[in-house]
Amino acid sequence: MIQLHDARVVFGPGTPDEKVALDGLNLCLGEGSFTVVVGANGAGKSTLLNVFAGSIVPLGGRLLIDGTDVTSWPVHRRAAMVSRVFQDPMLGTAPSLTVEQNLALADMRGKTRTLSMALDRRRRHRFAEQLAAFGLGLESRMTALAGTLSGGQRQVLALIMATLNAPRLLLLDEHTAALDPRTAALVMDATRRVVGAQRLTTLMITHNMQHAVDYGDRLLMMDAGRIKLDVAGDEKAELGVPEIVQRFGMASDHVLLQTVV
Amino acid sequence: MEFFSVYFNLIPVTLVQGLAYAFVATGIMIPFRLINLPDLSSEGTFPLGGCLVATLIAAGLHPVLATLLAACCGFAAGAGTALIHLKFKVHSLLAGILTVTMLWSLNLRIMGKPNSALFGLPNVFDWLHPAIAGSLLLQCLFFLVLHILLIGLLWWGLQTHAGLALRGVGANSQLAPSLGINAVRYTVFGFGMANAITAFAGALIAQSQGYADVSMGLGLLVNGLASAIIGEAITGRRHLLAQLCAPVVGAVAYYQLGSVALSLGLAPSDLKFATGLFVLMTIGWPVLTGKRPGAALNA
Repeated sequence: MIQLHDARVVFGPGTPDEKVALDGLNLCLGEGSFTVVVGANGAGKSTLLNVFAGSIVPLGGRLLIDGTDVTSWPVHRRAAMVSRVFQDPMLGTAPSLTVEQNLALADMRGKTRTLSMALDRRRRHRFAEQLAAFGLGLESRMTALAGTLSGGQRQVLALIMATLNAPRLLLLDEHTAALDPRTAALVMDATRRVVGAQRLTTLMITHNMQHAVDYGDRLLMMDAGRIKLDVAGDEKAELGVPEIVQRFGMASDHVLLQTVV
Repeated sequence: MEFFSVYFNLIPVTLVQGLAYAFVATGIMIPFRLINLPDLSSEGTFPLGGCLVATLIAAGLHPVLATLLAACCGFAAGAGTALIHLKFKVHSLLAGILTVTMLWSLNLRIMGKPNSALFGLPNVFDWLHPAIAGSLLLQCLFFLVLHILLIGLLWWGLQTHAGLALRGVGANSQLAPSLGINAVRYTVFGFGMANAITAFAGALIAQSQGYADVSMGLGLLVNGLASAIIGEAITGRRHLLAQLCAPVVGAVAYYQLGSVALSLGLAPSDLKFATGLFVLMTIGWPVLTGKRPGAALNA
């Protein structure tokens, strides 16, 4: 269980540009839940995700993961429990390292990195099996540099890296936004499979209303650093794109554009 | 034909010189290529190694111990540069300049004078075997064995979990923390290690030439950079081993090129300008020919 209490984030406090990004936000994510977050630009979605990841430390409030207070833990320490897939496919992998080296790096998340060989036959075999499950042929490109993969392949690799040793919380930061619709569908399919198989507690930000409808068991809509609406279960399941746009008053051009796609 | 005789007579000396300065090129390559952060500290950590070893040996310390201690101090100075960069958010180049500037005073304090002679004092070469001092071939062998050991150690280390994490920090500094890698710790260690190698080189070269001088690091960075670039052009950098061998191969080639230039009548004082021009040309070539710079790096 992930509990965020009274998180407050202010950018540029005391300056004319002061902006409240999170306004005393409370959020509790149940074990194995898949929460989708939507909201206009500047609503605080990314800030919320960064607070979970540790790259932004809130001014006030506490973050508990399974009862452990991790509020002041730096990103690298928190990574033992929290993993993340970035929006930019360039960010989620190390381009000048091979696919198998990327996986070996991710495989040690939360473990002590020793002076034993990072890659051996057993580990390579295990990685190949894990890659094969996604049907992208990545298992035959284990020694290729990650930078030579296509955007979609890199994003799937980033997803596999993030879920290699079941994190307590998986953060997906608009991780299909930079991809074409067909590749985005492929990555979302991989996402559904890996989250379902491991029953991962997941928080996904998206601008794609169709994805918000199709995925997850809970939908949050943010506005001005607060959660404006929170629907789960059957109520969420019955929602369609028009209802979201209508009920949540999100008729911004950006959302409409995304809906058309 | 005079050129050939002059050049051929210089080969043994320049070969030893190239192999000795190759450690500096390795120490420059590590931050530049593996951690992906340029570091200038070597201009200060190289004389630091030389000045320390001269002072310690003159004070009666065993030369091997003095050399190792010099390397340790190089580590501390390099780690300092990384910490200035990471903690105070100073650009790594400026952090290096700060370290070099401060080390200048420190080096003078250590020796108490701008230079000091080591003639007649014990050194690692005599300790290993008295014949080394008089034989360029044995000196070549000595440096070559050290390079093989160092490259082997780096090659092994960089394939371990910890070594891969170091390369991960260099390959994608934003991703590394989210994979649980303490980027600060690895960068500090990498800079420290690189400058330990550079200070080690300073200590060895001071002992081999028989004196240490506070200004013995002047222009070293560009020499080392040129060596690393030449080396990479020869060995490539697709494989880790090639990347690790590049500075050594490059330094040997660089000092031979320098020797050719001198044999052709170039004044020794013009060599730094020629080297700078060469580095500039290699960096500028892709821009001038319209190819994207650093394309190989991003591949």
